[in-house]
Amino acid sequence: MTSIGTGYDLSNSVFSPDGRNFQVEYAVKAVENGGTCIGIRCKEGVVLAVEKIIVSKLLKPGANKRIATVDRNVGIVTSGLLPDGRHLTSRARDEASSWRRTYKSPIPINALAGRLGGYVQAYTLYSSVRPFGVTAIMGGWDTEGELEVDGQVGTGPTSGGGGKINDHDIGEKISRGGPGLYMIEPSGQYWGYYGAATGKGRQAAKSELEKLDLASPTNNLTLNEAVKEAARIIYVAHEDSKDKEFELEMTWISHEGGPTKGRHEEVPKELFDAAVKAAKKAMPEYDDSDDEQGEEGGDQMQE
Amino acid sequence: MFRNNYDNDSVTFSPQGRIFQVEYAQEAVKQGSVVVGLVSKTHAVLVALKRNAEELSSYQKKVIAIDDHLGLSLAGLASDARVLSNFMKQQSLASKMTYGRPIPVERIVGMIGDRAQTNTQQYGRRPYGVGLLVAGIDELGPHLFEFQPSGMTQEMLACAIGARSQMARTYLERHLDEFAECDRDELLKHGLRALKESLAQDKELTVDNTSVGVVGSTSTDGKKKLENFKLYDGQEIAPLLEASLETTGTTEGETAGDAMETDS
Amino acid sequence: MNHFPQAWGRPRDDIYGPYDSSHLHSSLPQSHTQSPAVTGTSVLGVKFKDGVVIAADNLASYGSLARFTDVKRLRTFAGTSVIGFGGDVSDMQYLDRLLQSLDIRENYSSHGHSLNAKNLHTYLAKIFYKRRSDFNPLWNNVLVAGLDDEGKPFLSQADLLGTTFSAPTLATGFGAHLAQPLLRRLVPHDEGSVKDVTREMAIDAVKECMKVLFYRDARSSDRYSIAVVTKEGEIEMKEDEKLEGQSWAFADMIRGYGTQVN
Repeated sequence: MTSIGTGYDLSNSVFSPDGRNFQVEYAVKAVENGGTCIGIRCKEGVVLAVEKIIVSKLLKPGANKRIATVDRNVGIVTSGLLPDGRHLTSRARDEASSWRRTYKSPIPINALAGRLGGYVQAYTLYSSVRPFGVTAIMGGWDTEGELEVDGQVGTGPTSGGGGKINDHDIGEKISRGGPGLYMIEPSGQYWGYYGAATGKGRQAAKSELEKLDLASPTNNLTLNEAVKEAARIIYVAHEDSKDKEFELEMTWISHEGGPTKGRHEEVPKELFDAAVKAAKKAMPEYDDSDDEQGEEGGDQMQE
Repeated sequence: MFRNNYDNDSVTFSPQGRIFQVEYAQEAVKQGSVVVGLVSKTHAVLVALKRNAEELSSYQKKVIAIDDHLGLSLAGLASDARVLSNFMKQQSLASKMTYGRPIPVERIVGMIGDRAQTNTQQYGRRPYGVGLLVAGIDELGPHLFEFQPSGMTQEMLACAIGARSQMARTYLERHLDEFAECDRDELLKHGLRALKESLAQDKELTVDNTSVGVVGSTSTDGKKKLENFKLYDGQEIAPLLEASLETTGTTEGETAGDAMETDS
Repeated sequence: MNHFPQAWGRPRDDIYGPYDSSHLHSSLPQSHTQSPAVTGTSVLGVKFKDGVVIAADNLASYGSLARFTDVKRLRTFAGTSVIGFGGDVSDMQYLDRLLQSLDIRENYSSHGHSLNAKNLHTYLAKIFYKRRSDFNPLWNNVLVAGLDDEGKPFLSQADLLGTTFSAPTLATGFGAHLAQPLLRRLVPHDEGSVKDVTREMAIDAVKECMKVLFYRDARSSDRYSIAVVTKEGEIEMKEDEKLEGQSWAFADMIRGYGTQVN
């Protein structure tokens, strides 16, 4: 922050003598105070979770969803300036639907991350705009099943391969699709993640995520376990701002054979409540009297 | 001339990650006269205090009907609100034309939110200088949304914005639990009383300076019937004002009783 | 080679004469496709007291050629409505994509707000009307089956002109001439009779009409799809049905039908 006031930080798209774009760094500051968002990627799918600080008693409980559906199989959650998050989400939706219009198939998660990264980066290039004051975590599932041919009206030929490649044709199991989790920063930089965290409680959340050892090829965290871990991590990350109440919101995407059939959906109430209960139990200051209070809280959250 | 170097336009972040121009626009909302909104399970109500420039001038419009199922009240720059409300009227009509369906409240509020956000990210524009309370009803029931110049929109159970609105919010927070079960008249009473809390000492609610908007549904034999957005202005207000006054003494007890009933 | 890059790789003017660009300035008005290519035939729909039955065969014809024999002409929307497409199959595929993207947009917010069959029908009719006003019609005639705002059975038609029509029994294409009169026996008093029609009655009537259509419509097939939308908003779809109990005994009585040609 030594260069504050030297004038190089007053306009976007201007480099300082030491090669920094201050406006982008300031945009990151806007993110650092946002509610914690995390994403967990496991073999069976992806879980997204967000801590929503309750700024007013007058807010409608359970409304004001923060995790958005972009395409059937993609969800996105942002931390930072919420209206900027809505802008990015709406761009993601446009990208997904224009991809469908062009290629007649759902957009792959990595391609969408690339498009969004490019879009966010463009907002660091010109002095006529400001960077996005958000970091976005995007999770999705590229279908592992065979995609329908666009406009398919029949089932294809009854004999022969009909242009399809089967396992036995190539002598090994065809593998396609899978989970995807990406985090896009105000600079336009994006990386793929096994576990991603941003917002105020990101440090605590990151260290919890690391303990899950998600990158290990032998990791066998199930999707249900991932939901519980996500809830717990949000509770852990909230420890530092304990004086404020919060609502938890969680969504997930499973593989085609899993509970959401490859779609991005809200975590169902039962599993959600169980995850919240377990999360509260795991907190150090947990005692039984918290339990009933917790039940009420859970209802309220689900509305 | 400027307070600091970072508040000249809405495309500059301050070192703390704030956008001062947007924050200043929020101040413009606080210059506007107070408006209150609240919802029950069946109705959504808007109540507004109108101002006149001088004794002999007319009063500023504070509540605008958008469509049969939708209306809003404003605090801040009225001309900005007119731009937004005209846009909402178009969108609402377009939804009815293409799908034959009243547009869901959340969606139309999202649309103006997105529009307002654009004004905070591009040079040569200014943020809208108006805050809105949008009340409407759709297949999920009645809704109340708050819209801010930043493009932030939030669904609320009750809300007050504008000058001295903190007092109204305090009233709303105190009575928050009662609203859900209120019928149309009770909800209106709460709205008017909350508004009254925000008045300056020498001011009173009159038929001239009060505007009310109500939308809701009535159910008869299990069938829901839409009660179109109704704007009350001028003499129509008189009975509502009277009703909110006359029972001041007894209502405390009444509502308390109601609350107990619903609790059991 | 000359000095003009734009001329490189093109026939030389001094040898072939200047380029004849007259076709670029044709005075004909712009036109769009005005006729269908691969088509589906009739769609039938019948309301009964607790829902709607809708059916269409699985054939797509290229002129008089039975080109594709397993085409699904009944499409579901949002798991609560069924649309039966008659007419051009590629336009059906276009509309199907359009409805897919509409469905994705409708599901951006996670709960509530689904478009019902009535909304869907309004939308389709507007699309058809827009396209016919642009002289670029979508060559279809569709039936939309589902529920209306009040959760009551809904059945309505929209065609390539944007014309809409609603009745307790509907049929498109040849069905309008051959099946509709038969189906109307089920509902002598129009909407007033729907309460007396049971699900079984409706299904039987539709199946019977599909059979009559197969007998007399040369562009029809004996494989068909049938769907039932119930008041609960559920769809029971069967996509590979075969006409049962056919009897061609009547055929040799009819001149031009079968082997006897004059």
